[in-house]
Amino acid sequence: MKTLTMALAGNPNSGKTTIFNNLTGARQKVGNWPGVTVEKKEGTLKWREHQLKIVDLPGTYSLTPFSIEEIAARDFILDEKPDVVVNIIDAANLERSLYLAMQIMELDRPVVFVLNMADLARSKGITIDAERLSMLLDVPVIFTVGNRDQGMDTLVETAIHAAQSSPGGKSGRKVKYNRDIETLISELIQVLEAQFHDHHPHPVRWTAIKLLESDQMVKKSLEELSPELEEKINQMAARSRSRLENIFHDDPEIVLTDDRYGFIAGIVKEVVTLSPRKRADMSRNIDLVLTNRFLGFPIFIFFIWAMFQLTFSLGAHPMEWIESGVGFLSARLDMLLPPGLLKDLFLDGIVAGIGSVIVFLPNILILFFCIALFEDTGYMARTAFLMDRVMHMVGLHGKSFIPMLMGFGCNVPAIMATRSLENPKDRILTILITPFMSCSARLPVYIILAGTFFGARAGTVIFGLYFTGIVVAIVSGRLFRSTLLKGQDAPFVMELPPYRVPMAKSLVIHMWDRSKMFLKKMGGVILVGSIIIWALSTFPRLENYTMDYAGEIEKITAQATDTASAGELLTPGVEPPPDMAEKISDLEKMKNQEQVAHSFIGTLGKAMEPLFSPIGIDWRCGVALITGLVAKEVVVSTMGVLYGIGDGESDALKAALKKSGMTPLSALSMMVFVLLYVPCLATIFTIWRETSAGWAWFNLVYTTGIAWGGAFLVYQGGSLLGF
Amino acid sequence: MNSRHEQEKKQFKQLFQKEGVDAFEKRFKVLDCFLKTEQHLTCREITALLRKDGNDMDSDFVEETMELLCQFGFAHRVQFESGPRRYEHRHLGMHHDHMVCVKCGDILEFKDEVLEQKQAHVAAAYGFHMLQHRMEIYGICSKCLSTRELLMPLCRARQGETCIIKSFEGGCRAQMRLSSMGLRCGDRIEVVASQGGGQMVVATGDSRFAICHGLAEKIFVHHAPPEIDYDIPRISGHFPLETEEKIFLSAMKQGQEGIIVRVGGESVLRRRLMEMGINRGTRIYVEKYAPLKDPLELIVKGYHVSLRVEEAANIIVEHVKTVKHP
Repeated sequence: MKTLTMALAGNPNSGKTTIFNNLTGARQKVGNWPGVTVEKKEGTLKWREHQLKIVDLPGTYSLTPFSIEEIAARDFILDEKPDVVVNIIDAANLERSLYLAMQIMELDRPVVFVLNMADLARSKGITIDAERLSMLLDVPVIFTVGNRDQGMDTLVETAIHAAQSSPGGKSGRKVKYNRDIETLISELIQVLEAQFHDHHPHPVRWTAIKLLESDQMVKKSLEELSPELEEKINQMAARSRSRLENIFHDDPEIVLTDDRYGFIAGIVKEVVTLSPRKRADMSRNIDLVLTNRFLGFPIFIFFIWAMFQLTFSLGAHPMEWIESGVGFLSARLDMLLPPGLLKDLFLDGIVAGIGSVIVFLPNILILFFCIALFEDTGYMARTAFLMDRVMHMVGLHGKSFIPMLMGFGCNVPAIMATRSLENPKDRILTILITPFMSCSARLPVYIILAGTFFGARAGTVIFGLYFTGIVVAIVSGRLFRSTLLKGQDAPFVMELPPYRVPMAKSLVIHMWDRSKMFLKKMGGVILVGSIIIWALSTFPRLENYTMDYAGEIEKITAQATDTASAGELLTPGVEPPPDMAEKISDLEKMKNQEQVAHSFIGTLGKAMEPLFSPIGIDWRCGVALITGLVAKEVVVSTMGVLYGIGDGESDALKAALKKSGMTPLSALSMMVFVLLYVPCLATIFTIWRETSAGWAWFNLVYTTGIAWGGAFLVYQGGSLLGF
Repeated sequence: MNSRHEQEKKQFKQLFQKEGVDAFEKRFKVLDCFLKTEQHLTCREITALLRKDGNDMDSDFVEETMELLCQFGFAHRVQFESGPRRYEHRHLGMHHDHMVCVKCGDILEFKDEVLEQKQAHVAAAYGFHMLQHRMEIYGICSKCLSTRELLMPLCRARQGETCIIKSFEGGCRAQMRLSSMGLRCGDRIEVVASQGGGQMVVATGDSRFAICHGLAEKIFVHHAPPEIDYDIPRISGHFPLETEEKIFLSAMKQGQEGIIVRVGGESVLRRRLMEMGINRGTRIYVEKYAPLKDPLELIVKGYHVSLRVEEAANIIVEHVKTVKHP
């Protein structure tokens, strides 16, 4: 039994993913295309005696080598040679869809045309003569209605039939270009055939056309195949190009595009009949409200607010459960494991680390659900439409808005959400400035510090910090745009798809896929990161404490036992007197404090004191900032340890901070630093995954530099002004 | 018209600032002044106009700027016969031809679809690939013609003009000579050459005659209209182009519909637009502008697409009209 590979291709919003989900159900896996961060979806299907591997190609309008999605789709068809390419066509949009279809047909694989959303087209009064279309192009054509699961059987059968009847690869009638162009194409074909004799890995006619279009990828592959021929062919192609330019006074690419559309217009005229049955267009009516001049923005702001409310308030409940679950687990482990290094590693390293990630799972699930909802209904494109003007001022695309906004929640999903941006430069830019959006993990730090030192004005200070983050993001954005990521921003040619009722199945799949990716990636890094930080703060072990803590604790316990009613032993279930517990925990905290001060991280913090002192931060806060690399919430708990207070006792910490000699100015400087410096390991790792190690390092250095500079300005400027 | 000029000023700013052209402000004033008039101006005239507006500029600078404007496609250089170099507006995607009055020097712009097509046909019939063409009609404008005496001596006819002989003055001998040459009253003659004050060459049918100035003074002729076998509507005013105005897509209003004549801009943008089906000859409908006036939403080929205003400024549309439904 042979496995047949079936590739699904088509325009965005043509219902490709719906069909993919229908065919494969839950038997799918999501990954990336090799080398690029475009989602690659694969699934399997068993059909009678056939085993099918179904690959969902990225949705594109064309197969030019300008965007990574298009390159990924094209390379898959060219290199992997799928047994059949199923081209999903939005029946209501035949003319535009055929443009991609013509390009796919030029790639010489067996093709099946699927006219999807046939019901919608019918209701719009569009009738398509499938038989005639099939005859004209010599390609099997079928109708489906993806969201009602209609026509899937026919689809699979037709595809299998097409794959088996022409395994060599033959795909219907191709575009006939202008006579001048055809002459040049056949000249190039002759040379190519003379050289390669059928050994050319790609279809020859297609290669010739791409040479006329001066396609860099094709030129490169030709160079690899035969360097000596490459020069000759390139010269010939260049000559042909200049001839075409002379004749048509335009770029050959444009002329070819025009020709394709000419060919398509002819086909459409023959197969489509329009009946003037004008039904009320629901989608337009919805848009009258949602992108209305006056209502558009208020509604948009409401939706965003609702998304945040859902994410953070609804998410707070399961978050609590998970927290208590983690707490329970660590309590159990505390009881089960013998005291010692291993126990510390499990409790403070692994459990705490994993716990800190898993706690975000509800938030992330809800957030991704909302985003999937926005995307599947078609509202996402409208947000870009509404916000583009604003974002364009920063040199960004309207679609950058949602990721940046999500940054206020958590930077990690925000960075992953930049996948909706097509242009790689726009994406990198958005990724680089998103960390300046103050994420929710930074809030506890602000609350403690601002609450301690600014009292009633704390709210204003925190608002000011958020605002500073936005300003730094805008300034950095403009800076990068004019230096590192120079260049025209991508054209804002974006389809506004009709509104659709989302399918529950695809929403869930969408949400789960992305959350799974988040968990898989982040889990590992956080785990390693927390173990490292744990090790740094645990080693070297302090052998000689300034006092004998164990002895002291024993003494207290003994005292308590003595003072308890005479002769009566402490039995489990009888609470020890409260003052005893307090004393013991005080002693333990002091022990911890001494241990951390002595450890690598303490040494590191002290060594880095010269770096921190110009910005008014003492070594304890410095250490807290370093541990904050794992996650920003950790800053608060580290400060707790270093100032000798346990977790969750914010009042005590406030008092301790006040006593420690920290001034409002140095607190502000610290907050600015927390706002601006590297968000956390998970974010850095996400940046690495989504871009490259280089950009991740750059971001790390850049943000920390900006943070230090900002804090320096605040502290020194403030000191000069006499605060 | 004005919206188009605003567009061109905007593009000028973009282009020249990007190119880093010096003395930008001064040059912009030149463009402004140039766009204000609808005439074909020489550099000297532009300099004078600028002076009138209180901008004293060197005529060399003005000339250099006008050349730059030509280079960047904002102006077009025209030269009629051996006259001085003149400049006219250049609106993208629009072509027109000229009529030049040899008497008063007035220049008229016109456009005729039939003529354009005919030219293309003729070229095609000869297997000639036409790149561009210039069509200039020299003659006497309606204003000059109305002040002209109907009956005039042949010596005042212009070279190339066709006249009808009305009468002969002078003695019998002169009349006899002319008759023997074959020229009679009522004949249609064409002035082949006329050197002011000297000899003239006229032709009737296939034969040429040389006539000395003295004799030409004695022949009185009528101006003869060209023989046209069909009626043409008289076009009044200098700019018949206004009737089928082409505008930038960015100048279209909500609820308007038009047909794309040209898609300009950078190659990447053009390709992207074409891939999405926004190409020449496509009907396009402006659904709405975003609340902040940028981007705009269009309906093309039955689907909705959004474009930034600056990108829309690369697309030229004609037959613009307000419609209820796309």
